[in-house]
Amino acid sequence: MLKENIIEIKKSLFRISDVLELCSVYIFCFFLNTLFEYIKTLDLESYILKEFLNKFTTYQKLIVLLFTFIVIVFHYQMLHRKKTEIFCKKLVGDTIFNITIRYIFDCLMILIFIYLLSSLVNIYFNFNLINNLYLVGIFFVYIIISAREVQKYENF
Amino acid sequence: MKIFKFIISKIFLRKAILGISMILLLCMANYTTFTATRSILSTYQGYQETKYINQNGVYIANLDPDSYIDMDVITKDRTQVVYEYLNNNFNYAFYTDGFVVTIPNIDNMEISLSYINEEYYKLNQFELSQGENLDFDYQLDNEIPVLIGKGLSKTYPVGSTIEIEESVLGRPITLKVQGVLKQNAYHSNYYALNSKTYYNFSILVPVNEEFINNANIDLQLNGLMDLTILDTTNEKIINLSEILKENLGLEFNFFSQKENYDYFNEYYIHSLKIIAITTLILLIVITCISIWNALVSIRLMLKDFTINFLVGLSYSKLRKIFYSYFGILSCINLTVIFIFTAFNRYGCWLRKDASFATYGLFGLIGIDWLALFVVILSDIIIGIVIIENMLRKIKKVPISLGVLQ
Amino acid sequence: MKIIDLKIKEKVYKNKKTQLSILNNLNLEVNVGEKIAIVGESGVGKSSLLNIIGLLDRDYDGEYTLFGLPTINLHTSELAKWRNEKIGFVLQESALINSLTIEDNIKLPLLYADSRKKEFNSKDFESIINAIDIQHILKKKPLECSGGEKARAVFARGIIMKPQIILADEPTASLDIENRKRIINLLFKMNKEFNTTIITVTHDLEIANRHDRVIHLERRK
Repeated sequence: MLKENIIEIKKSLFRISDVLELCSVYIFCFFLNTLFEYIKTLDLESYILKEFLNKFTTYQKLIVLLFTFIVIVFHYQMLHRKKTEIFCKKLVGDTIFNITIRYIFDCLMILIFIYLLSSLVNIYFNFNLINNLYLVGIFFVYIIISAREVQKYENF
Repeated sequence: MKIFKFIISKIFLRKAILGISMILLLCMANYTTFTATRSILSTYQGYQETKYINQNGVYIANLDPDSYIDMDVITKDRTQVVYEYLNNNFNYAFYTDGFVVTIPNIDNMEISLSYINEEYYKLNQFELSQGENLDFDYQLDNEIPVLIGKGLSKTYPVGSTIEIEESVLGRPITLKVQGVLKQNAYHSNYYALNSKTYYNFSILVPVNEEFINNANIDLQLNGLMDLTILDTTNEKIINLSEILKENLGLEFNFFSQKENYDYFNEYYIHSLKIIAITTLILLIVITCISIWNALVSIRLMLKDFTINFLVGLSYSKLRKIFYSYFGILSCINLTVIFIFTAFNRYGCWLRKDASFATYGLFGLIGIDWLALFVVILSDIIIGIVIIENMLRKIKKVPISLGVLQ
Repeated sequence: MKIIDLKIKEKVYKNKKTQLSILNNLNLEVNVGEKIAIVGESGVGKSSLLNIIGLLDRDYDGEYTLFGLPTINLHTSELAKWRNEKIGFVLQESALINSLTIEDNIKLPLLYADSRKKEFNSKDFESIINAIDIQHILKKKPLECSGGEKARAVFARGIIMKPQIILADEPTASLDIENRKRIINLLFKMNKEFNTTIITVTHDLEIANRHDRVIHLERRK
């Protein structure tokens, strides 16, 4: 029987390498935001160091937001790479709707996992848990926008 | 040029997201480099300034952070006793600033008065763009010769007089413009060497014994905070500390050359090292992300490139195109950093922040241009790393396979 | 018995600059087990017609009844199910997922099949693999295979579910004579053994003439 053999193939567009890549970009963004929060709690004696770091913490939100662009790059390149896969799956019995929903679900699962991980770090450092929440919102918007791109690849 | 235009418009711009992300990453790298370089250069400038006073036998006064200022105890009589003691026993450099006065000027800035004595003037070697050096041998009832910043030179040319209601003397006085300081002349904070006050909208008022004796308690007390005692010994400094404690109830620390040197090494060198290491780590991280971004671009554009190889594009031509493309991205970023800095500098003019208003091409001063130069150097290094990685990746894939992809 | 009853008034291709009208007033009726070849010059709409027949494209003006049911009211999930169970696509060699092995690519339709259908006999799989001679590339990725090998893998994927209709778009374009013969023979064997309806788009008149009917598509004058 072939049933066991097909376990290797997944309906999801994500492969292990894609999951690791998305985890890495999420971790980087959450880490950066937490790092800023950490810097803000530092009671630095050095005025020069304080001034230097102030130049970054003043623009914390903007800097983090600009760095989140790498998440957009990830979604863009991943879907672009998967266009043949999306078409082939549609060809053999999948629907664009299901592929899109699965894609959103997978992205959200990874996002929630990384957010929870970052929350643990925040709890450890006694930081406010909502510090990283705005990033979840931004990433959610990115996921929704990128999911709309799936239908672009329904034709080969 | 034709090939360059074709590849930019038909390959790179068709995947604009990747170009935008590269610009943003470069922007982060440039901002980091720019900020770090300016901090280091500004600290270096401050250090150069302190070098004049950082000599053997020189002690710099500093109010102990734990010392409480009880203004009920401090009276004019008592500060006068301290100054008499100073005049009789020490050679000292006096400097105090921050006394604001409103006089008409074309930029409508509030003018800051800085009071300096002859010793301080000699130590700091102020450079003038017009006029003559300060003269400290004057009578209070006559015109007082002063130096002014560039921002006031149009309204008050050399030889003109300025009538002001002098707050520290408590009466009107006449200042005579003796000279104009070079543009962007500054004074660094001795305890935060990277922070400085620009003299463009300041008046340097020379003070002599008569002036100090007639000045109010504010000037006398403030003057003690940044007092520099010259050619003295540790024993005499201990006596001075006791006089200060006795008369004003204030604990002063006097730092010797060695203490200052040790402090600099411990505090500044350490801070600068942290800044340099942090910047380096940030640049490495940003470069790694940029390489990832570039390799992603290659992954998506490989077919386009290999088809171009198929029809005659060479690796050396592609290298040139990549460097030109990166050069364009880098120029966009430099422009952004330039505008950001110019806007910040211009902001001081808009806010009428006289202490930070500077002159220069688009408001940028020397350290800004130097920092921009360092940014260009860092961009060149980052560019080489990214582009060589991109080319290596492209060369790894056989043309036939690339076309199929 | 009719399996396909398609009436297209017009199919319009739109992009930012141009608008192209193809397949005007086309009526196509296909019986079960019939072998049909579609020929015509490039750009006339052969592949578009195949996409419409294969339920990949519903953006046209017309009516389409498949297996006796009008497709207009069918939900996308039902269309997907039909594509999985009843229609097999044999497209160009590049329609393979590069990140999967050839074996996984071939078994891809099983991923979407009902559990009943998944009880697929491995003997059938092996007989298909043996018949088209691709055992040696099963563990390879598409980019490691030749064009001919990939074309055969695409063919294997198209027939693995034993569909009632096989839609083949230039199935032999990148094959040598021997493999071309092998694929066509296998296609016709499916037709003979399982009464599978075959619709082939081809430029090869020799292959076209081996079909029961040859449809010439022409540009509207």
